[in-house]
Amino acid sequence: MLSANNISKSFGGVRAVRNVSLSVPEKSVCALIGPNGAGKSTMLNLLSGVYQPDAGTLTFGGTSMTGLPAYARVRLGIARTFQKIRLFKQLSLLENVLAGFHIHQDTPFWKYLVVGDTGRFREEARELLAFVGLGARAADRAGALPYGQQRMLEIARALATRPKLFMLDEPAAGLNPAEVDFLLQRLVDIAKRGTTLLVVEHNMDLVMNVAQRVFVLDHGEPLFEGTPREVQANPRVIEAYLGGEFAA
Amino acid sequence: MRRAAFFGIAIALVAAAPWLLHTPYWRGILVICAMNVLLALSLNLVMGYTGQLNLGQSAFFGIGAYVSTILVKTYHWNFWLASLAAVAFAGVVGLALAAFAVRLRGHYLAIASLGFAVITYQVLVNWEKVTEGVRGIYGILPPVGSTVGLFYLIAGIGVLVYWLMDNLVRSPVGDTLRAIREDEVSAASLGVRSYVWKAFAFSIGAGVAGLAGVFYPGFVGTLVPDAFNIVESFTMLAMVIVGGMGTMIGPVVGAVVLTFLPELLRGFGELRLMVYGIALTLVVLFMPGGIVQLVKRK
Repeated sequence: MLSANNISKSFGGVRAVRNVSLSVPEKSVCALIGPNGAGKSTMLNLLSGVYQPDAGTLTFGGTSMTGLPAYARVRLGIARTFQKIRLFKQLSLLENVLAGFHIHQDTPFWKYLVVGDTGRFREEARELLAFVGLGARAADRAGALPYGQQRMLEIARALATRPKLFMLDEPAAGLNPAEVDFLLQRLVDIAKRGTTLLVVEHNMDLVMNVAQRVFVLDHGEPLFEGTPREVQANPRVIEAYLGGEFAA
Repeated sequence: MRRAAFFGIAIALVAAAPWLLHTPYWRGILVICAMNVLLALSLNLVMGYTGQLNLGQSAFFGIGAYVSTILVKTYHWNFWLASLAAVAFAGVVGLALAAFAVRLRGHYLAIASLGFAVITYQVLVNWEKVTEGVRGIYGILPPVGSTVGLFYLIAGIGVLVYWLMDNLVRSPVGDTLRAIREDEVSAASLGVRSYVWKAFAFSIGAGVAGLAGVFYPGFVGTLVPDAFNIVESFTMLAMVIVGGMGTMIGPVVGAVVLTFLPELLRGFGELRLMVYGIALTLVVLFMPGGIVQLVKRK
């Protein structure tokens, strides 16, 4: 469904991503892992269009999307969350999710001027909030939520775009074990509905539990690709992680 | 229901105002107040809802005034047709400014838009063949003879604009504009082309400011560039902030307060500017949400 071919990206003199190719099959759950600074988030930003690659090509559903800006990729069916949570903090939870329906709005403009709130997608937005366990807090300000729930709200907001491919940048970061469990269930639910998932993650439990295919990056370069079991057993991966830990 | 009641009260207040403040002087202030409400509403859409610090609003006010007046005086257009053209022209210029503005943020946008206001002012001063420069254009007639009639006209349009804008910000368009204000990268991740929506807000804001402008010359009777000095942009800014930006009623309250406050402070002479400045600073420091914040907080 999504394939990246020989993608490279440098910032100043730093080559953040070098010659990375990966292919995410439709309706699969894939994970992108690697030690700190491996280029995982950069890769996700390249896939979502926040950055454009210096070299390489991207295709989605068989057609090229190289060079497409982020907003245009959403219309193709690609949604994402951010490593550093980016909610609309001053807006209510419901408003956050409603904003996510932007590309599906089809009401003629004059109706907005005369009728105002059409109530379209309100029901669906509430369902999404309930899905991530925030049904009771729809009217609260997003910025007032505890950290873990902010992550879940961001997921609900991204789901409002009705993605075919949903990319999550370290969704478990900063969550307590109970929240990680809840997140895991939700990811499984999302995958069951037929949405393809690509998860950038540090939390190995989560990766091992949901992913069918794992891409490992190290120092911006592809290190290994395989099933979670293969990745866990691979000496190069273990070395990269342990080496990273010793260095840190 | 609550909205219907709200608009009922608003209309009743508008209807009663010229009879509560019935001297010619105060009725004149009411006309100014109605224009200021339109101006504050116009800036609020851009600044309060879309989060774009635009200091060029005085230019659109001036464009509305000059374009409509020149069309009427020089080309003998009908006032309403001329007004329509002036509003459209202001909207198009707003779009043109937006073409530059969408690339800028925060302070840079503020400086660029302020620069635009300065340029527009200079054009009004120096393009004498068309604008008569500082000599001014004289003998401009209002669209309605009486001050009360003029007030009802402008205030009526104000209520209409308020209603339309209130609908707009409650609609999904409002969600989109607020999303851009809060976080553009996030908005883009939801498929929002923020430059399109910013340009939209700029253009509508410019058109509404232009609409306020078409009534100004007839009310004063003469038209000189000084009325559209960049200071006006800051006055509008103050109205929006003091009232409470990003709410619908806030800028209206701000416009009313800041129209009447200087009148009530006339006894202080030039000191009133200082009082005005101190009042503004206090609001920003202690009521960042403006006057409406005091009322609305649960």
